[in-house]
Amino acid sequence: MTATQPSEIRAIELYDNAGKDFVEAQRWHGVVDKNLADWEAEWMPELQRRLKLLNQQNVERRFWPQSRHWDWRAKLKDIEKRLANQSFALVCNGMTQAMMTVDTTKRARLEGQQTQHLVYVDYLEAAPWNRGDIAGDPPRYRGCGTELILAAVELSITEGFKGRVGLHSLPQANRFYANRCGMTDLGQDKTYENLRYFEITLEQAQVFIGKGKGA
Amino acid sequence: MTLEITKDWRRKLILEEDGYDISAGLTSADPIFDGDIIVDDHGDDGLLALGKFINLMRRKRGLSIPDLAEQADIDVGELLSIEKETAHVPEPRTVYMLAQVFGVSDRKLMGLSGLMQPKDETYVEDAVRFAAKSESIEKLSALEQEALNGFITVLSENAKK
Repeated sequence: MTATQPSEIRAIELYDNAGKDFVEAQRWHGVVDKNLADWEAEWMPELQRRLKLLNQQNVERRFWPQSRHWDWRAKLKDIEKRLANQSFALVCNGMTQAMMTVDTTKRARLEGQQTQHLVYVDYLEAAPWNRGDIAGDPPRYRGCGTELILAAVELSITEGFKGRVGLHSLPQANRFYANRCGMTDLGQDKTYENLRYFEITLEQAQVFIGKGKGA
Repeated sequence: MTLEITKDWRRKLILEEDGYDISAGLTSADPIFDGDIIVDDHGDDGLLALGKFINLMRRKRGLSIPDLAEQADIDVGELLSIEKETAHVPEPRTVYMLAQVFGVSDRKLMGLSGLMQPKDETYVEDAVRFAAKSESIEKLSALEQEALNGFITVLSENAKK
């Protein structure tokens, strides 16, 4: 049974694109029933509305959200009894804005840190209204990816993994992980539907966290 | 533990996320799609024409790149890449927003950029022709104006087939 309360709530900020200002938000350690209710009642109808628009605009399906078939309730059910899996949610204005699940049993692949433990991001997704696709309005809140990757890096350090994080990016997000997070692109992974595998090293994590200091 | 990140740095990271999709996970709805290879065969020429068209329209309106980016609510860097890099494949939303600002067909701009397979490819060829016609001109001359008019005609929603 999904928990009703997160184990920790951390104050963060997201950027409100319409209001052009930063707004208060929360990072919940643990996706709970409220987050899944938001997913079912708010994310899914909005996703369907956007898919309908994309279809009407004759946009090829390869450009539709590649995570459109994900079932967060099933994903959480799969990991609810596994201590090695953890989850996070971002909440702003009373609504779940993004969710992530991670696995702490995976090993690094990058040369130089192979066989070392890392935090592997199983799934990471923003609410449909925070996406930058063409259907609908511009993204509502900016910063969901940044805050969740920071959470993964933080967990990696807490677990003694020195900031190492790995993930398979969905095709439209490759640019974010390569350019914005500074992760190493290890290329397409034939064992995972040819998705690109990215990994962040200790050094890269430090740059991601601190490259702006004093800048 | 808490990461020691300054508030300013955290905000900078958040602002830089603009325009990026962030989805990561083990399964993709269309797994054969590779984000690095999304341009159709006509893509290079179409992208060249797209960049030229955006450049001409922007200059005709007397807008700087940041001005147009703000007006269209798109990323400045991406706009610059569209105009300057013929291999740059723009985000679908960017193309859509530019089509709205310039009052041309978003479907046709998407086709030009290789993001959609055009039902009628002749307008892509026409657009490439107009781009080539304006290539050697430094400022918005009468020739460029003529090319731009041609662009607008073929990229308008109600253009004759």
